[in-house]
Amino acid sequence: MTILECKNVSKNFGALAAVQAVSFTLNRGEILGMIGPNGAGKTTLFNCIVGIHPPSNGRVILDGTDIAGFKPYTICRMGLAKTSQIMEPFRTMSVFENVLIGALHGGQMSMKEARTETDRVIGFVGLTQHSHKPSAAISVPARRRLELARALATGAKVLLLDENMAGLNPFEIDEALELLRKIRDSGKSIVVVEHIMRAVMGISDRLIVLNYGAKIAEGTPEVVANNEDVIEAYLGRKAS
Amino acid sequence: MHQISTAKTFWLFFIPACIAVALIPLFTSSEYTLRVSALVIFWIGMSGCWNIMSGYTGYIDFGPVVYFGIGSYTTAICMTRFGALFLPSAILSGVVSALIALPIGIPTLRLRGAYFAIATFAFAETMKQVALEFDRTFGVKFFEGSHGITLPISGHDNMFFFYCVFAVTLAIVLVHYAIEHSKFGYGLKAIHEAEASAEIAGVNTTGVKLRAYVTSAFFLGILGGIEAYWITYITPADAFSVQKTVQMVIMTLLGGMGTFLGPIVGASFFTLLSEVLGTKFVEYYLIMVGAVIIGIILVLPSGIIGTLKARKGIRFI
Repeated sequence: MTILECKNVSKNFGALAAVQAVSFTLNRGEILGMIGPNGAGKTTLFNCIVGIHPPSNGRVILDGTDIAGFKPYTICRMGLAKTSQIMEPFRTMSVFENVLIGALHGGQMSMKEARTETDRVIGFVGLTQHSHKPSAAISVPARRRLELARALATGAKVLLLDENMAGLNPFEIDEALELLRKIRDSGKSIVVVEHIMRAVMGISDRLIVLNYGAKIAEGTPEVVANNEDVIEAYLGRKAS
Repeated sequence: MHQISTAKTFWLFFIPACIAVALIPLFTSSEYTLRVSALVIFWIGMSGCWNIMSGYTGYIDFGPVVYFGIGSYTTAICMTRFGALFLPSAILSGVVSALIALPIGIPTLRLRGAYFAIATFAFAETMKQVALEFDRTFGVKFFEGSHGITLPISGHDNMFFFYCVFAVTLAIVLVHYAIEHSKFGYGLKAIHEAEASAEIAGVNTTGVKLRAYVTSAFFLGILGGIEAYWITYITPADAFSVQKTVQMVIMTLLGGMGTFLGPIVGASFFTLLSEVLGTKFVEYYLIMVGAVIIGIILVLPSGIIGTLKARKGIRFI
């Protein structure tokens, strides 16, 4: 059932403990929301999982293999892809070429297979009409979809989405949520970091909450929303 | 379909162009024309080598001449010390350069921006000093220090060298073609655009950079070997001259970094410009060449081909 598991993952930058012994599991076909105030360590935890910063401690188990300390490209090829909060498309390349790189390198496909897969994925995320435009020339929502498409083209089983809805208006958020459900239904497992509560509460099967690098709560959205520690982390302590 | 038709158009132009260039020696009786043509082709190859690595990845290598120098010395030493034939020596020069590039590339390709440029520059200068001082330091006769090495007089004419550089440059140009259409090439371009994104999209960035670096070193080694035999006399100051690096960089920048036609256009333009101005204005031509370079860089910052590509959106140049 479990496809991704973090066991006591910690990351220290010198004296700063950015992530402290965080453990969680992601089940197959699940959408797991990860929330927490700014600086809680969400992005750092993602970077530890995908190998950008190898964890100082702890284990990351993807489908039975401990991947902690592997290089990002190896982890990507093993089926775990991330989208970044700060979008970094290959700017002078077309949308098609951006996604093609994911399929060629992450998915280890031949040029012919990769082209077919790229067309399919671009259609899946709804970017077909932008396919031959330079990636720098498309709108923010389209660029968010491009990030998703590049991750999907690698053939990843698990997606880590770091604020993939930042900068979208309410209507675009609904469309993005629709797409996320579609991706989940196609058999992927997803971890979502998001600040937009409506979005993350609506889509997540379970939530985990980080604060100061540590996990402070876990459970269904309703349970988490009523948790004292979570309310305190977001709103501060009640005056007594 | 779009892709296939551009590929067809490409071969339609490319094959006749190659044949035309290959026929130059048969249609000219002037040794000067032949020599200048060979020089243009030589520089297309040289700047092409730089383009494979630095043009496509954006990692500015400021010491490519080191592999040229290593190639020159390998050929010179093989031919004078071991009595080897020229062609096997030249091929071996490429292999030796590539083998040296591997352990040098692994640590230096982790550096970014100016640090990579400094490291590669330093390595080139180091090798120049090794060639200069090795013999004196160890009391042997191997690199011959600043005296340089005189190679056996070839007895080959300019036509022979024309076809030598033509063959190598053709191979380099075909590598460019492969880069434009392959997984490897997309990896290089992805590194240029956003290395962090490339890595999380599954590109083995270090591996891809290393392959480009070693490929470039291999061809530079062969070109170094050919030039050594052509001019029959090499010294560390010439073989490892920073001037060669600068010329490779300028030619590629003029043509357009990371483009297929960039080195071809840039090297032809620069070599012919220097040649024409050099014969007419012997004393002042370098000033004029400098002014033209500055002018082009101001007006066309991404090079002749780079600008065309951006403005017209032409694929495949």
